[in-house]
Amino acid sequence: MAAAVAASILWPDALIDQEILAGGLALISALLLAHYRGWPLVTVLLAVGLVALVVMHLSPLYFGGALRGPFLILFVVAPYISIALGAGWFGEVRRYQAELRATQLQLIQSEKLDSVGRMAAGVAHEVKNPLMMILTGIKVLAKRVPDADEQTRLLLQDMEEAVERADRIIGGLLNYSRDRDLDLATADLNDTIERSSMLVKHDLENAHITLVSTLAQDLPKLQLDEFKMQQVFVNLVTNAIHAIERDGEISITTVLEKMTRGTLVGNRKADRFSIGERVVVVRIEDSGPGIPEEHLHKIFDPFFSTKPTGRGTGLGLSVSQQIVEMHGGTIEVGNRDTGGARVTVTLKVDREEAPS
Amino acid sequence: MRKRRILLVDDEASITRALAMYLTENGDCEVCVENKGSRALAAARSFKPDLIFLDIVMPDADGGALAAEIQGDPVLKGTPIVFLTALVSRRETGGTTMTIGGYPFLAKPVHPETVLASIAEHARERA
Repeated sequence: MAAAVAASILWPDALIDQEILAGGLALISALLLAHYRGWPLVTVLLAVGLVALVVMHLSPLYFGGALRGPFLILFVVAPYISIALGAGWFGEVRRYQAELRATQLQLIQSEKLDSVGRMAAGVAHEVKNPLMMILTGIKVLAKRVPDADEQTRLLLQDMEEAVERADRIIGGLLNYSRDRDLDLATADLNDTIERSSMLVKHDLENAHITLVSTLAQDLPKLQLDEFKMQQVFVNLVTNAIHAIERDGEISITTVLEKMTRGTLVGNRKADRFSIGERVVVVRIEDSGPGIPEEHLHKIFDPFFSTKPTGRGTGLGLSVSQQIVEMHGGTIEVGNRDTGGARVTVTLKVDREEAPS
Repeated sequence: MRKRRILLVDDEASITRALAMYLTENGDCEVCVENKGSRALAAARSFKPDLIFLDIVMPDADGGALAAEIQGDPVLKGTPIVFLTALVSRRETGGTTMTIGGYPFLAKPVHPETVLASIAEHARERA
């Protein structure tokens, strides 16, 4: 941290100096003012303050200007005060920079999502027609060879599944580009989570994974689009299942908390979490291998996926993020200290409707 | 009972060819295909279908406007129409038929079995 002490400013007879008088010193003090010496506190670029020695006529320090000792102390101390103030100032700058960077990233992400949406509608029409042709062709062939051998039957089945998969991807893209509205209703988040858990029950059982739910009973009701929020939790638990692959545990916890830090969600001022604000937090943790550090920054990117081909479209987390942010909430992904991944969804309890 | 007369109007010739094959071989249908939207009305007048499957987005005609023309035609008035569209995903329709402008529609890619079911549901019965 760089700091410097600029030349001191000396007013031998402060009483007649109008700047000092205008600077806020009370008249009664000014009448007694004998000597003033100030040291500007300078960081790299800015003066961040001033340390001053003010000596009154009646002060024992004032013996006809013999003030060498106190001046020396000021001269030595001023740089340290500068550094201390500068550190605080740079800390502020760093905080603002971090907030700015986060906002920029959100804007870039939002722009990416919009681009995907625009592209999706165009691609969907062009791809669905050939898919229909292939699907119909497969069905014609399957009917024409009713006594097909096992391999031919499997081949036709695989072809049909491939068409279904492509259609799901296109369908996901279309939903992605259209789902900009919420159908909000007062809802119990715990119920939504339990319904989502039922939808993934079969997958959990197949993979021998235990789902442990610890749902706080004191949660206030929230304004939710239940269907979309259910989609979020199904996506998150499905991701956890795919990460574990087999034999493990996923935990879902809900809790009512107070924000300990301010957070900006999207670009809407009304969606800014303030410190002390009541929020409902959902944590989904898994016993999988966790997420490699180099993947964390792009995990919400549309089409980013580490899953094998055919297992994921790379849209699950993007869609989940979009839905949570539409609710004025945040979604964060990270790794647990003890291993495995943790997804944290934070939702406002008292949400004001804001113009989007 | 005579075969159901089905008119397929879609600019994608590969789709109508495959679908016509499936319906002819697996349904009790007589199928007529028209790949030019602008000629669909004339094809319908000539074929007198019991049901028309009509693509919505075609390069030379708008399916919606064509449906209105068909319903305004004295000969074709009342002919059931089912839209085929790639603009809506199957998931959005819940896998069942919904309506656009009062007409049922099927979201592409449609399973040909669903097309057969749609014929059973909507085609005009004629003795």
